[in-house]
Amino acid sequence: MKHIQNTAINYSELFDDFRHPHSGAVVLFSGEVRDNNKGRAVTHLEYEAYAPMANKMISEILEEAKSRFKLNQAACVHRVGRVEISGCAVVVITGSGHRKEAYDANRYIIDRVKNEVPIWKHEFFADGTSEWGQNCDCVSNDHHNHQHHHHYERAE
Amino acid sequence: MNRKIVCFAGLKKFFGDETSVEVAPEESYANLLEKLGELNPEAKEVLTSCRIAVNEKFVPLDETIKDQTTLFLIPPSSGG
Repeated sequence: MKHIQNTAINYSELFDDFRHPHSGAVVLFSGEVRDNNKGRAVTHLEYEAYAPMANKMISEILEEAKSRFKLNQAACVHRVGRVEISGCAVVVITGSGHRKEAYDANRYIIDRVKNEVPIWKHEFFADGTSEWGQNCDCVSNDHHNHQHHHHYERAE
Repeated sequence: MNRKIVCFAGLKKFFGDETSVEVAPEESYANLLEKLGELNPEAKEVLTSCRIAVNEKFVPLDETIKDQTTLFLIPPSSGG
């Protein structure tokens, strides 16, 4: 699948393929695995996805971002399976004529992918325990009923 | 009718990889979530933040369950 893969993400290769004669700015974001979370030592992560739906949703988010921010190109790949410390869990690359659009679109894409796409993080800790992750940092109780880009819209 | 429900991530702890629930005609997806909560009361809290997908699309929870395909129970995303 184009946007979901169970092997290491080679973002240098993706970046090299990203040249475009109309692009004066290319932004690459790599979400990487930290060795700690909320004060606890993390050994590694495992990602699970409802892969066909996640792949489709990422593709739709990229298309929307391309028209909304006038991008020349946009790419996003998310890992499933085990990712070690400092491994790349997700990469987003955006290219546009000028830097503002590439930066803004990159943030828009990663925020929507984290908040909406059916992908889940399983954190493994040094003490031998593990937990399914929660990205949600909203304060309202009913925010999961908003079935769209709530976080990004609040940030605008 | 008995409906198959596929579970992901933390939901597997409560329901395994998949479960099934008896659904009467005219019942909504919200009714189905309630029934899952009765099946395992420990899951009630997380069920309030779950969505349901059918044919790779999220469905409005107040809608009546109509088609025969498998349902996918989607807990809050935590990718990235």
